[in-house]
Amino acid sequence: MIDPTHLLTIGLMALSTYLTRALGYLALRDRPLGPRLRAVLEAVPGCVLISVIAPAFVADRPADLLALGLTLLAALRWSMLPTVLVGIVAAGVLRQLL
Amino acid sequence: MNTNTAPSTALPTAAGRVCAPASPTASHPANHARPVPGAPSGLAEFRRGLRAGLPVMLGFLPFALVLGAQAAQKGLSLLEVPLMTGLNFAGGSEFTAVRLWSSPPHVLLIVAMSALVNSRHLLMSAALAHLPTRRALAALFFMCDESWALGLADARQQPGGRLSLGHYLGVSAGLYATWVSGTALGAALGPVIGDVQRYGFDMAFTAVFLVLLRGLWPGWRRSLPWMGSLVVAALASRLLPGVWYVAAGALTGVGLAAWMARGAADAAGDGAGEAPVAGDAR
Repeated sequence: MIDPTHLLTIGLMALSTYLTRALGYLALRDRPLGPRLRAVLEAVPGCVLISVIAPAFVADRPADLLALGLTLLAALRWSMLPTVLVGIVAAGVLRQLL
Repeated sequence: MNTNTAPSTALPTAAGRVCAPASPTASHPANHARPVPGAPSGLAEFRRGLRAGLPVMLGFLPFALVLGAQAAQKGLSLLEVPLMTGLNFAGGSEFTAVRLWSSPPHVLLIVAMSALVNSRHLLMSAALAHLPTRRALAALFFMCDESWALGLADARQQPGGRLSLGHYLGVSAGLYATWVSGTALGAALGPVIGDVQRYGFDMAFTAVFLVLLRGLWPGWRRSLPWMGSLVVAALASRLLPGVWYVAAGALTGVGLAAWMARGAADAAGDGAGEAPVAGDAR
């Protein structure tokens, strides 16, 4: 049920994933952050999140772009749950229609 | 700006009901600097986090099913799939690993690529820098993009601006349970699932991120790093294979932020240090 090579790969993945998190914490923990580093760290979240969803902005299908536009509008006004529902319904319906 | 982030609009009534009797700090943030991080009853904070995580759990499910199904197709067993997603709680790296998976797998290639995808966590983990070492090292195990972003969005509502450990763990518990069980279910259902894109569930992920981004919006004046990230990542997603676009976009934005911060520090002297936080409600 568990292949040794698979287990090794999974184990090393887990180790490297944990290390990326722990090492950052250990390195930045006791350091009084200078204004510049602080400004950079403040920018990290937005830059990462927007990069992750960037492909949606250059989607091939008009239906996907339209659904993205509607979801964006919803995100500007509403909280998480209604926005998610708008996104799912808009994408599902528009892909059927267009 | 940050007074209307997603978690706050979804939660204030519920959170107020749960927390108000136990912790006056929660309802009158202006009157008290919070003395201890995570002080308002741990369980209440945990439940508040669990609730904040609900919409993201909904968004996780289709991705978890797809990842599980893909992994099963690549030859991972019904035990190995939840083992991978449970020990390595980072969806992006798992999608990468499964895409690269062959039989037998190229161990080092897969590990190196998943580490690259996760390298952004090096910087993100600074959000937990104020926690005691042992708690932080345990909490970091659950730090995926979404648990971190929800925790951070919530921290910006708090008087001290610090991440609440209880809230974070509540978010993480819900997401972790959804992710691990969802991927296992996906592996079991396998071919039955087919293409979830057809039903629009993939847009849940984008929607979640858009709402999180609204909460982090720095204002037009400081939005240059965001725009740089968006443009470069969008282009890279068309031009480069795999998930390199995330690294390309994130690095562009962080580089622009560093460049902008140098200008600000030179011009404004010591006052510049407070600039990034000035957008908060304080």
